[in-house]
Amino acid sequence: MEMKTLGNLIINGVGSVNGGTFNKVEINGKGTVNSDIECERFNCNGTGTIHGNIKTEKGKISGAAQIHGAVKAESLNINGSASISEAVHSQKLEVAGNSSIGGSVKSDEMAVNGKAKIAGDCEAEVFRAEGAFKIDGLLNAETIDIKLFGESKAKEIGGRKIKVAQHRESLFKLIKSLFPLKLEAELIEGDDIELEGTSALVVRGKNVKIGKNCEIGLVEYSGEYECSPDSEVKEFRLI
Amino acid sequence: MSDELISKKEVLDLTGISYGQLYRWKRKNLIPEDWFVRKSTFTGQETFFPKEKILERVEKIQKMKDRLSLDELADLFSLNASNLKLTKESLVAKGIASDPVMNIFLDTQGELHEFNYYEILKLYILSSLLELGDIHIEEGKMLLQLLNDHQEILQEPKAVICFIRKLGMSSCLASMNGEQVLLEKGTKLAAAISVEQCAEELKSKLA
Repeated sequence: MEMKTLGNLIINGVGSVNGGTFNKVEINGKGTVNSDIECERFNCNGTGTIHGNIKTEKGKISGAAQIHGAVKAESLNINGSASISEAVHSQKLEVAGNSSIGGSVKSDEMAVNGKAKIAGDCEAEVFRAEGAFKIDGLLNAETIDIKLFGESKAKEIGGRKIKVAQHRESLFKLIKSLFPLKLEAELIEGDDIELEGTSALVVRGKNVKIGKNCEIGLVEYSGEYECSPDSEVKEFRLI
Repeated sequence: MSDELISKKEVLDLTGISYGQLYRWKRKNLIPEDWFVRKSTFTGQETFFPKEKILERVEKIQKMKDRLSLDELADLFSLNASNLKLTKESLVAKGIASDPVMNIFLDTQGELHEFNYYEILKLYILSSLLELGDIHIEEGKMLLQLLNDHQEILQEPKAVICFIRKLGMSSCLASMNGEQVLLEKGTKLAAAISVEQCAEELKSKLA
């Protein structure tokens, strides 16, 4: 255990330093850090570049940061257009900007309010999204609550309770035809599934409720099944 | 172990678990990632599992989940039960090793008051091979030497430890990926044991 007090790393402007262990790391300009960082608080407000992994308790990325490595945090807030090349692991994770993550994401509570791109799998206990996301792997969460605002995509979705709702159309009616409010997935599996505006090849679950504007290839259910007349389900069967 | 596969739907049918549970267990790493085998079928991609392994695992989880939290279960199933510490007496009492095996172990490893997970696993591998009569004491010491020099063997579930003999000479080796080991004609495979299997057996004994 280290007992000495740790220093801060603050870059205001252009600078390039090596990483290490700090109390607070703040990058306000065009800073570059060349190795791993471990710190209590990590704050990046400019176009910082980190060549290494970040481990922090509380992280906030508000600029166009580029992190060539993985991020591990207790709570992480991404507000800008960050790009993280490897996995992100954070108990609390909020993505409010246009960010891309090259690896997988693991979190307890995850909220996507903007546009997020995840190249790996995404695991959370609670996954909330109000925006447009793209997940190339499996979205796996106990509770999934998605409000569609744009075109979202996930290869597979699995969980206990899955709810996808389309945003009320009033404002969007005009541009709706240009920007479809759609969620696209190959496979959706869960215990309680409620879908709107979703196109999927296969949906499997206990209770399945298909709302408006869906296009589903096959629904397999073991409990209750409901389908709105505005939707197209090619085939459904009770198993 | 057979390579027979079973589809996800059949697993749910046979065991009565729900999709939610399956996905939760996957998230908690109770079901290893490499058991999820993707195959394309006429309805698109489907997930399959190795039949014996998944059914056994689900049964175990269902049996133990009332007593242990999911995180504790994950520790039990993963190959890194890091905060495990047991004394010599409790290991003998739990039937991990008999007294004579314990003495052989302590002879080579030196006196230990507390056994961590890796020491226990070494002990258990030694004990299972000796008790089966597949190897003798000298070979047992060789095994411990191998495991002491290459701790990474114990962290690799796929690893298989083999004993070979030729003209009364014996040797042991570990195949990290568990591939087939081909032998020259005069050489005999005296014993082969999988680390994963040992670790699983050990964990069910400790639980």
